[in-house]
Order: sequence, then structure tokens, then C-alpha cells
Amino acid sequence: MLYRVIDADELPALVEAFMRDYEVIAPVRSGRSFAFEAVSSFDEIVLDYPTTLTSLKKYLLPPRETLFEYDMEDGVTDYELRVQPRVLFGAHACDINAMNNLDLVFEDARYPDPYYEAHRAATMVVGIGCTPDDSCFCHLLDSGEVRSGYDLFLVDIGGRYLVSIGSVKAADILEGACSPREATDADRRAFREYTRARQQAFNPDIPSVQEIPMLMDAFHSDAFWEELGSRCLNCTACASVCPTCYCFDIRDVLDPSGETGRRERVWDACTSPQFALVTGGHNFRAGTRERVRHRMYHKLNGFNSKHGRYLCVGCGRCVHACKTDISPIKVLEFFEQKGAEDAE
Amino acid sequence: MPNSMSVHVGPLAHDAAVMDGAQLMSANPYRPWEARITSITPLTENEKLFEFRLIDERIREAFHHEPGQFVEVSIFGVGEAPISISSSPSKGGFIELCVRRMGEFTRRLHEMQCGDIVGLRGPYGRPFPFDDMRGHDVLLVAGGLGIAPLRSLINNIHDERSDFGNVTIIYGSKNPSEVMFRDQFEMWRHRKDFDLYLTVDNPDDTWDGEVGLVTAPFEHLEVDPGNTFGAICGPPVMYRFVVEEMRKKGIPYDRIFMSFERHMKCGMGKCGHCQVGHQYCCIDGPVFNYWEAKNIQGSM
Repeated sequence: MLYRVIDADELPALVEAFMRDYEVIAPVRSGRSFAFEAVSSFDEIVLDYPTTLTSLKKYLLPPRETLFEYDMEDGVTDYELRVQPRVLFGAHACDINAMNNLDLVFEDARYPDPYYEAHRAATMVVGIGCTPDDSCFCHLLDSGEVRSGYDLFLVDIGGRYLVSIGSVKAADILEGACSPREATDADRRAFREYTRARQQAFNPDIPSVQEIPMLMDAFHSDAFWEELGSRCLNCTACASVCPTCYCFDIRDVLDPSGETGRRERVWDACTSPQFALVTGGHNFRAGTRERVRHRMYHKLNGFNSKHGRYLCVGCGRCVHACKTDISPIKVLEFFEQKGAEDAE
Repeated sequence: MPNSMSVHVGPLAHDAAVMDGAQLMSANPYRPWEARITSITPLTENEKLFEFRLIDERIREAFHHEPGQFVEVSIFGVGEAPISISSSPSKGGFIELCVRRMGEFTRRLHEMQCGDIVGLRGPYGRPFPFDDMRGHDVLLVAGGLGIAPLRSLINNIHDERSDFGNVTIIYGSKNPSEVMFRDQFEMWRHRKDFDLYLTVDNPDDTWDGEVGLVTAPFEHLEVDPGNTFGAICGPPVMYRFVVEEMRKKGIPYDRIFMSFERHMKCGMGKCGHCQVGHQYCCIDGPVFNYWEAKNIQGSM
């Protein structure tokens, strides 16, 4: 990957350059937490934020999106999707990996999703290096680093940024707004210091477990799932904050006149009780045990079978969102304890 | 803030004019295409067989299905439902769907008349391996509404009968009044080229077929295990027992095929509703062989 260095005081000019042609979405302070929101000046942006409450997925897969409109007389009518050209500024590696995972689902060769593709094509991604907090475990699920899916990736190396350049469009904007220079040995050493410090900042209490997908299969019937599932309140907050939960429902909405309507998709969650219900009344995942287990399976086993990657990127959002402490960390701790128990 | 821009996820009318059927369907895979109900046949108290004809000639010509696949049916203002195709691909130009009245969508469909319009998109899903089955014996087992997708396979085999060896059909229902396509099967009972076992759990005075579960006829069945394909479709509880019987007869794991029922909402491996283990019923299934099914956590 091509990389250059810019000075920290050049960053506002870069953001302003983006603002000329794009809506810029960036991390801002929101109460006691942080959120991705549209910004109108560089000063609003908090670059050293830990993790935002919700993810960036809403910009590629809106919580509610019209698929088409129809007329009860004539059927489907011409429909145009409005998309907003955007720059997602300040995305962490986990969140960019999450969007790359969404690409695997929505940009698959067989059934490319025209709505997702339209949003994705109008979206630029500028990543930023981060320091993990206590609930981050991206490094344990191969998502601590990101090698594709961004236009620029910035790493603070002390008063200056090392910038990986992922696209021509971004290179042009970078060169127009800043004076990117070749990295020096000192820059490279500073970058390595950053990666070393970051490596050491991960919470050592979250266990690193090998062969997670196989363990998921091996312990499929363990009583652990009953215990974990029994705590689930069916609130589906986990899926809503998750950057990779992409499930949706499709429904018709009729206008008050009853003559026109639209079909839309809305976010849905496999932890919702009716998710696997079929007409006729059979629910294939009727209990919280089955639903919580299925969600963890898809994240830590199922997606791997299809795409060779974990669907969980270890961002830690569900760790905070779940009121009853259900998260992939609990699954890792279970596996960790399982081996140790037997050794005693 | 910069203005948003408009992206066509069409096909819009002026683009559509120059497209062929395949291009139209792939331009927006969520868009249903208008189809007219051309015939409605009541099968039982709760089931009707609907025949549809896609209105746009280009779509009609591009629409090719195989036994075991399904379509997404739209009733505007009500929604969409996945329904397996009951007709054989050899019945060109028309699509038959066997629909049980169960929820709001199927209730509305049951109220529709010949000439009414619905939307269709598809076909979706991995079908039964019809071409692999050629030259072999086929043992088909249906329970209840499971006859709907299997009928497509049965009729397709019927239309190319000389390509197949022995064909055995076991079709079980709870009551005689719930037996679907009874006329067709009554006719076939006297044919030499189909071994047909119609069985019910609760016989009445009108019933002169078999009595008992779909597994009962296996007792006397002669199966050439190296040369037989099994195909199963029925309620979830049925699979385990029928598979066991087929295994006892020596049919290999990967020649026993079963169709799974799930709620395929998008049909394209995205919405997640039909996920079973790591597989999507809509694109990886709904037809799986027993080896694959065994490898899906929580499938059976």
C-alpha cells in the first residue's frame, strides 16, 4: 500500500476539502459517549475516541429503506433511490473490516444488492488508528488491522500522520489539500512504536482462543448455551449496535389512500423471538438458548464457513449494549475455562 | 452540505424498453414481475393450486425453474411470501403453486380470482439434482404439504419417464380429505411404471389406500442401494424417520435429498431469516443432501 506523511496541522484542510463535495460523517462527543454524525467543521471531530455507541453500517444499510413504490392499479412504478455522497471520516480498523464483511454479503456476484451498491459507491472511507479500550478484542478475530476497503487510513505518529492511500480519488484530494511527503526513517520508527504500543494496550483478560469455529461445533450442545441464552431479554440491542449484523425484514407499507404503497426493508435481528417463525406457526429457534447460540454461531463459525473470516470484528459494542452481559467475550471465556477445568 | 444524488435502481420504464428478460430481472432483483392467475383448482378444504402466467413476454421467456425451487409471490399492500413451485419445468409458460391457507398472505391469495394479478420474482434456490438422477431409481417421500415441491420433481420425472429406472412414490397425509392431487394419483395407481403408496394416519370409509406413517411402506420395499436417489419433503418431524429408513436400505448419505422449510424473505442470501446453521436455505438450499444436512448445526 502506498503511504505518505502529513503534518497534524494539515488535517483540517483535508477535512475541509472533503466537505466541499461530500457530507462528512465523523466521531463526535455525544453525552458521555461518542457517535458518528454529520459534521460541519473539523473542530467538532474527536479523533482519539474509544468506540462509538452505534456503528457505521447505517450509512450503507439504512435502518429503513424503500425498495420500490407501487400503485395498486399498475403495480411497480418507476422509483429512484436518493443517495448521499459521503466521507466516513475516522473509522477504526474493526469498523472498516465490518464494512468489508458487509460487502461479501451485499456485493456477492450472484445477487448484488443495487441499494447497498449505490450507497457504497457514493461513500469514501477514511480510517484512523486507535488505542483499544477494555472491551476491544478485534486482534483476537483477525480484525485489528485492515488492508482494504478504505480510501485513506491515518495513523497518528506524534504531530504528524502516516497516511495509507487506498484510492486515486483520495490521493487527488490529499494532494490538493495537504503537502504529503515521503516517510523518513524517523517516521517509520514512530509508526512501529505506535503498533507496538497498540499491541500492548489490548485487555489481556480477554482470552485468545485458537480454533474458535471448531470449538463452536464441538460445544454446540453444551449447557453453557442454556445459561447464556437464559439471560437474553430479547431486546435485540446487540444486533442494532453490531457493525456486521445485516439481517432485515421486508414489508409492505400502504399509503393512507390505499391506492399506492411501498415495499421497504427494515433492520431485523436473529435474537428477536419471531425471526425464524414460519407461516403455520413452527418456530425454528423458539427459545433464547437457540437464538443467542445461533447469533454467536453466525459470528464465530457460520460466516467463516462461507467467507473464511469471522463475522464478529471484536469492536466491543455489544459488550456495552447488552444489559445482561451476553457477548462473544463470554464465549471466549467459556472456551478458555473449558480447557483449564479439565486440566485441573 | 452537498446535495444528494439520484441513483436508478430501476429498471425504469425507459431503460426497460431495450432490455431482455434476464437483464430486466437482474437489474433489480427485489422487483416482482406481474403475473396473472390463469387457473385456480381447489385441492382440499385449505389448499388450492394456482396457475400463473407472467405477463411480460420477455420475463416469461427468461424464467426457467427446476424442481425444488421457489418463487417470491407479491400481493401489493400485503407483502411477499416464498412458495415452492409445484409444476414441472416441462410445463412451459405457466407456473403452478400449491398454497395452504394459513396466515394473512395466503388468506388473501385464496380470495383472489382468475385474472387477478400478483407479483412474482425468482426462481430461487438449489433444486433437486434432476440430471444426476437420470438413469437411476428414484424413491420419493412426501408428507402433507411436502407434496407441493415434490410434485414438480414427480411430474418432471413423469414427462421424461424413460430416463429413469424404478420410480417409487410414498405420500402420507393425516386424513383422506387432506390428500392433494388425489385424481392424478388415483390414475397413477394402475400404472406399471410408478410404484405408488398413498397412506393416511386416520382412514375413513372412502379410503382404500394404505394406513399408517410414511415409513410403513419401507418394510416391504425393495431398494437397489447403489442405484437409488431418495427425495424427501414434509413436516420437520418427518425427516429423521424417513432418512433412517433410507439409510437402512443402504442409500448413500449424498443421494438422499431433502427440502427444508424456512421463511425465505429475500431469497438471495441476505436477509438472514432462512439461515440454518451456516447455510442459507434460499441459496444453499432449500434442497440439501443428507450429508450436508448432518453438517448443519441445528438442522434436524
